[in-house]
Amino acid sequence: MCLLQLWAFGFCHLLFMNTSDSEEDSYNERSSLVQCESPTIPSYNQDHDMSLPQETDTKRRRPVSSGLDEPGPVERERASTPDGEEEELTLKYGAKHVIMLFIPVTLCMVVVVATIKSVSFYTEKTSQRLIYTPFEEDPNYVGQRLLYSLLNTMVMISVIVVMTIILVVLYKYRCYKFIHGWLILSSLMLLFWFSFMYLGEVFKTYNVAMDYPTLAMIIWNFGVVGMICIHWKGPLRLQQAYLIVISALMALIFIKYLPEWSAWVILGAISIYDLIAVLCPKGPLRMLVETAQERNEPIFPALIYSSAMVWMVGMADSSNPDSGGVKLGLGDFIFYSVLVGKAAATGGDWNTTLACFVAILIGLCLTLLLLAIFKKALPALPISITFGLVFYFSTDNLVRPFMDSLAAHQYYI
Amino acid sequence: MNLERIPNEEKLSLCRRYYLGGFAFLPFLWLVNVLWFFREAFLKPTYTEQPQIKSYVKKSALGLIVWVAVLTTWITIFQHFRAQWGEVGDYLSFTIPLGTA
Repeated sequence: MCLLQLWAFGFCHLLFMNTSDSEEDSYNERSSLVQCESPTIPSYNQDHDMSLPQETDTKRRRPVSSGLDEPGPVERERASTPDGEEEELTLKYGAKHVIMLFIPVTLCMVVVVATIKSVSFYTEKTSQRLIYTPFEEDPNYVGQRLLYSLLNTMVMISVIVVMTIILVVLYKYRCYKFIHGWLILSSLMLLFWFSFMYLGEVFKTYNVAMDYPTLAMIIWNFGVVGMICIHWKGPLRLQQAYLIVISALMALIFIKYLPEWSAWVILGAISIYDLIAVLCPKGPLRMLVETAQERNEPIFPALIYSSAMVWMVGMADSSNPDSGGVKLGLGDFIFYSVLVGKAAATGGDWNTTLACFVAILIGLCLTLLLLAIFKKALPALPISITFGLVFYFSTDNLVRPFMDSLAAHQYYI
Repeated sequence: MNLERIPNEEKLSLCRRYYLGGFAFLPFLWLVNVLWFFREAFLKPTYTEQPQIKSYVKKSALGLIVWVAVLTTWITIFQHFRAQWGEVGDYLSFTIPLGTA
């Protein structure tokens, strides 16, 4: 079996239609779930969806789908062991990595939900919208609202598809510098501008006086150290923490600026797109993997969360200090958090939020199990998002009224 | 990245760069430097580059303490006297709390 490699990421640039506020540039990275134990896996490298130079007041949004991947050397080792042992190794391998991914995904969701519940800014609806969701939802007309949300989704998904294809083309023609530069610009925006916004809102919520010099120091330090850790070299834990934070920030932006119904439809559509792009033979991301494999280089090391862990089961020897772990794309973090955040924002009570949270973790667990079985790049979104959506709508519409009714009648079961 | 995996010269170079970078108003970078290289500098058996790494860690710690002192002083002064400063206080403020004088 050949070595499996990391997934490419795409960045999205959000475009705001309303000019009442200063334009914001935000970038959304999406990536895939990858397990890597290959010694050739490079240390952090960024990759990003290319975008054309924008005018100063417009930005574009481009996510790329995500996937899940498994390391190669593990398979080679496994091939030499008897079947029973191989089975056991697979499972052992899977369980540890499930836990190692649960923690960051949970942390990201906790940060998003905590912010949604406390800082009202992210739940206040504004007239500002993303350029990718041009149709405004009118709450008075249900049919029209449904139609507009579908149209918004189609616009968004087509933008995503176009961007992914551009990414693949760029990669094929080896425009690495461009991609790296764009990636750096995107994370710059996330680390400085969005954190600035976030801090401002948090201070306002807690009624704290903050002066510009101190704020400048905080943002400057946070941003620069973040850039260093993510794009260059830094302690692993700090890098992981920064990735969780920027995923949370991105998810919050989505929660604020996507219209209600469009958000749900988009979540569903993105999972389907993810499935197609990663698994179909002509899917852009699959082509990306294959191109990288032909060139025998790691795919687009990009913004990926890496839970580096030393491979311990029976093969650890000092001559092969292989640190492997599951790698999950940031895009997956972001969309999981968007789902749970929206459940927290609109669902109203904790039942719904917790149900979605559990659903996503179950989905992640299943995806990792599939990863351990199939040992190839897999999309991390479909199962979790499907479960999440099912749980959200059923809890909101069935469980909640039931629980309210029980509570109202003081009937304990 | 894992410090175990890289050769000592690279560790030294990394420590040095973090130390120098901290001079750009980045006490956080110094903090990261201290925490990350603490074990390398003080808890590992001696190797050639270790004394230099030790010195960088110590200097980073010193710089960090200075910055913490400066920032604490400034924040205390600002929080205490902000209301009294009137216009200047407002000019310096990013967020102004509601409901207080």
